[in-house]
Amino acid sequence: MFVVTLFQSNSRMAKIGPLIQRFAQQELRNSNAIFSLGLYLVGITYLIYLLGGQNASDSTWITLLWIVVFFGAINQASRSFEFESGDYFYYYQTIAGPKTTIIAKLIYNSLYILLLSAAAWALFSLFYGNSVYNPGVFALGLVLGCVGFSAILTLANGISERSGGNATLSSILAIPLTLPVLKIVSAINIQAMVGAPLEEVYELVGSLFALDIAIGLLAYLLFPYLWQD
Amino acid sequence: MTGHIYKALGVALVLYSLVYGLLTSVPDLPIIEQSIRNLFYHVSMWFAMVGMMAGSFGNAVGFLRGENLSKDRRSESLAETGMLFAFLGLFTGMMWAKFTWGAWWTNDPKLNGSAITILIYLAYFVLRNGIEEPRKKARISAVYNIFAFVMMIVFIGILPRMTDSLHPGNGGNPGFNSYDLDNRLRMIFYPAVIGWILVGTWIASLRYRIKNLSES
Repeated sequence: MFVVTLFQSNSRMAKIGPLIQRFAQQELRNSNAIFSLGLYLVGITYLIYLLGGQNASDSTWITLLWIVVFFGAINQASRSFEFESGDYFYYYQTIAGPKTTIIAKLIYNSLYILLLSAAAWALFSLFYGNSVYNPGVFALGLVLGCVGFSAILTLANGISERSGGNATLSSILAIPLTLPVLKIVSAINIQAMVGAPLEEVYELVGSLFALDIAIGLLAYLLFPYLWQD
Repeated sequence: MTGHIYKALGVALVLYSLVYGLLTSVPDLPIIEQSIRNLFYHVSMWFAMVGMMAGSFGNAVGFLRGENLSKDRRSESLAETGMLFAFLGLFTGMMWAKFTWGAWWTNDPKLNGSAITILIYLAYFVLRNGIEEPRKKARISAVYNIFAFVMMIVFIGILPRMTDSLHPGNGGNPGFNSYDLDNRLRMIFYPAVIGWILVGTWIASLRYRIKNLSES
């Protein structure tokens, strides 16, 4: 039913594209933020390298990668609703409404965190060598993980933004909720690194996919309640 | 009058499970031996906690549908009672683990799940404390409550089934799977679960009434 109403309203679909474009423009205009995020990625990766990260075992490699991505994503998402506070809140409410905004936001944040994690993977490969046996499965895990991750972070940030809280509140809310996703993603990534048979990975990928759908649906259904004054 | 019946029933069932849990004869299984009696005291805590959290979730959904603030108070009271059961479950489990596995804490999916559940609901209380306006507080925390409950079910209900656990009945460990949970254990375990859920409901209703009085 959700899908039907989603696609019936063509006007809503038509608004999602421009909204995503607008989010991206806002990000690009604020080039200082992107620059600092890139600097954070390079700096932290090199710091881990200096502290002996190149000798890390597979599970440590994954843990480090996800911690780097995690804090980058928290940092990005904490600015996620910056532009929607104050007067912009009423502006978006009038022109788009909550359901369109949340879909656009989910797509945009997923893409952003995906780029972030791809950059982190590239940097890790550069400094520590790429020890991934099966890059396709690894990338699939990364994509599904980033989608679930962004949905949780987007909702947590919406909550902390609406409650007038600070960035700490959104991390407190998001950290325990992201753990199921991170747990499954790191299991998929480990199996991609050691080259486990695909049949063993499919079950994990399937459950992560189902979890992503559930999280996304919840965020979509709950966001309008948040979006009231 | 009807309000007293469930309280009396809850107390009676809890007393029955506490006393007969120690008196009944149990199956003789290796390693866990007599500590299998912890089934009545430890596992029933988790069932009661999930019951309380489910009630809290139901009231959160109810609040979003009708914007009735008394539902929000019920939801909070049930979540607080659920936290009490979570800590009791953690404590009884740690005692048991020390004597059966030899450590207070192990990296077991069920233990991780319960730790995460406690973190999630502590964050819920932090969130509630941060908002002043009651209606806004109720709406935002109801949204978080619904999200948190679903993630909790995923974490304690689904993830442990995907990986091996040290818990009895999982991954080839001796214990109470469907064959071993025999009728002698069931006769005490199920009444214990029902009794603790009734007592928990009573505690939550007292907290709810205190909140009502302090609001007015």
